[in-house]
Amino acid sequence: MDKIKVENLSCFYGGQCVLESLDINVVKNEILTIIGPANSGKTTFLRTLNRMSDLNTSYSRKGTVYLDDENIFNMNMEKLRKRVGMLFAMPIPLPMTIYENIVYAPKRLGLVSKKNEMDAVVEQALKDASLWDEVKDRLNSSGMKLSGGQQQRLCIARILAINPEVILFDEPCSGLDPISTAKVEESMIELKEKYTIVLVTNNVKQASRVGDRTAFFLMGKLVEIDKTGTMFVSPKQKQTEDYITGRFG
Amino acid sequence: MFKLNPKLSQKISYSILFCATILAIIPVAVIIFIIIKNGASAITWEFLTSMPKNGMRGGGILPAIIGTLSIVMCAIAVTLPIGVCAAIYLNEYAKDNLLTRIIKLAIVNLAGVPSVVYGLFGLGIFVMFLKLGVSIIAGALTLAIMELPVIITTARGALNSVPYSFREASLSLGVSRWQTIRHVVLPNALPGILTGAILSIARISGETAPIMFTAAAFYVPHLPTSAFDQVMALPYHLYIISTQIPGMPKNIIFGTALVLLMMVLSMSLIAIIARIYFRKRRKW
Repeated sequence: MDKIKVENLSCFYGGQCVLESLDINVVKNEILTIIGPANSGKTTFLRTLNRMSDLNTSYSRKGTVYLDDENIFNMNMEKLRKRVGMLFAMPIPLPMTIYENIVYAPKRLGLVSKKNEMDAVVEQALKDASLWDEVKDRLNSSGMKLSGGQQQRLCIARILAINPEVILFDEPCSGLDPISTAKVEESMIELKEKYTIVLVTNNVKQASRVGDRTAFFLMGKLVEIDKTGTMFVSPKQKQTEDYITGRFG
Repeated sequence: MFKLNPKLSQKISYSILFCATILAIIPVAVIIFIIIKNGASAITWEFLTSMPKNGMRGGGILPAIIGTLSIVMCAIAVTLPIGVCAAIYLNEYAKDNLLTRIIKLAIVNLAGVPSVVYGLFGLGIFVMFLKLGVSIIAGALTLAIMELPVIITTARGALNSVPYSFREASLSLGVSRWQTIRHVVLPNALPGILTGAILSIARISGETAPIMFTAAAFYVPHLPTSAFDQVMALPYHLYIISTQIPGMPKNIIFGTALVLLMMVLSMSLIAIIARIYFRKRRKW
C-alpha cells in the first residue's frame, strides 16, 4: 500500500530546475533509501515531502504529492509536519534539557499537558530511540552536552514523541562515527515496524544495509528504483552501476 | 623606495596601531579624571537627596535625578516593546520585498537624524499638536522615537544570533512559526535584547536636545507627581548651571556632571556584566 505517492513533481530554486517530473511512491512500513551524487535533488525531494523547502523564498514547485490520498500542498503545514517528521544531517538539539527537548513539541501541539503524561512520553520516546539507558539519570542536563551520536538519537526521540506516520532522514549519519552510525541504522530498522521511512544518504553501503527499496537520483532525475537487493546485484541502468560500484560520484 | 625588512615593518605598524588605540583612550581617561578631581568634593548624601537652594548655587540635585530617571524609564517602557515587535516582524516574518527594504533603509537613516531635530519634532507633535504640554510623557515619547531605530537594530542582531537551525528543528516538528519564536527564538535572544536595552537607557540618559523643548524645566520647586508634570533633568540642568547662572560654584557643576557620568557608566557596566553572565550560561 502506498503511503506517499508523488506525481509529476518538479522543483525549482530561483527558476532553475533541480528536480524534474518525478514519479515515485513510498510503500507503508518500508525504508526507501535515496542515493545519488551531490546536486541530484535528493535533499530537495525530501524537504518537499514535509514542505520545509517552502520556507525558502526562492523555491517553487509543480506537481502533486499525496500522503494517504491527501494532497500535501493543500494541507495545513503544521499538521503535515506533525505527520511527517524529519531528522537533519547535523543533530540539532534545541538549547534546553534532554527532557524539555522531547516534551517541547508534544506540549506545543497540545498532545500532553500533565506531568505524568510527559514523563511517560519522554521515557517511551527515549527507549524507542535506544537512548534511555544512557541518559535516564540526567534527563535535566542540557541536550547539547551529549555526544554527536547521542544527540542524533535524542533528535529521533524528539520526532517519535509526536508520533508521526512518516520519518524523513536527511543523511543522518554524515557526521557520525561508525559505531554511532550502526546504532542509528539499528533504530531505523526497528522503527519501520511502526513508521514509513525515507532515507537520503551519501553512503551507498548504508543504503544496501538498511533499504528495502533504493532509488538512484542523478542531476534532478530518477534514474532507477528497485528492491535494494536487486539493484545492488543487477542494476538495469549503466549509470546506476557506475555509481554503486564507485566508478563516479 | 628602499624595501623595509619584515621585522622592522612589523615593529612600525605595531607601534602605529598601538598609539592609535592609546589616543582613543586618553580623552575618555582625561574627562573622567577632570570630572572626578573637580566634582568629587561636591558629592555628599545631601547633594544627592535634597532640593537645590540659593538659585541652584547650593543644595542638591534630587529633582534632576528623579526627573531624568522618570523620563528615561517611561521612554524605554514605550520603545522596548514596540522595537522588539518590529524587530521580530522584520527578522522572522517579513518577506524580502521592496517594502521591507524601504523599511530597513528608513530605520538605518532614522538613527542618523540629529537629536535636536527629534526635539523639535517632539515639540511640534507631542507638546503642541497632542497638547501633552512640556511634560515627562512628551519628553519620554520623543526619546522613545529617537531610540526606536537603535532598539530595533540591536534586537534584530540578537534575534539573528539565534542559529537558524533551531527554527528549522522546531518547525519540522509541526510547531507553528509563532510558537517557535515564542519558545525557542525569543528566550535565546532575550539576553542580547536586554543588554541592548540597558545600553539604550545609558545613551538616552545623557541626551539634552530632545528633552530641552519637550520635558525639561529650568527650575521646579517640587518633585514630579504625575507624568504630565514638567521636570528638571540632569543633562539640561548641567547645561543651565554651566552657562546661565553667574557665580555658580565649580564643584557643583562638576559634581552634577559626575553624577550623570556615573549613571551612564554604571548602566554600561551592568550591560557588560549581564552580557558576560549570559554568555557563560549560553548553551550553544
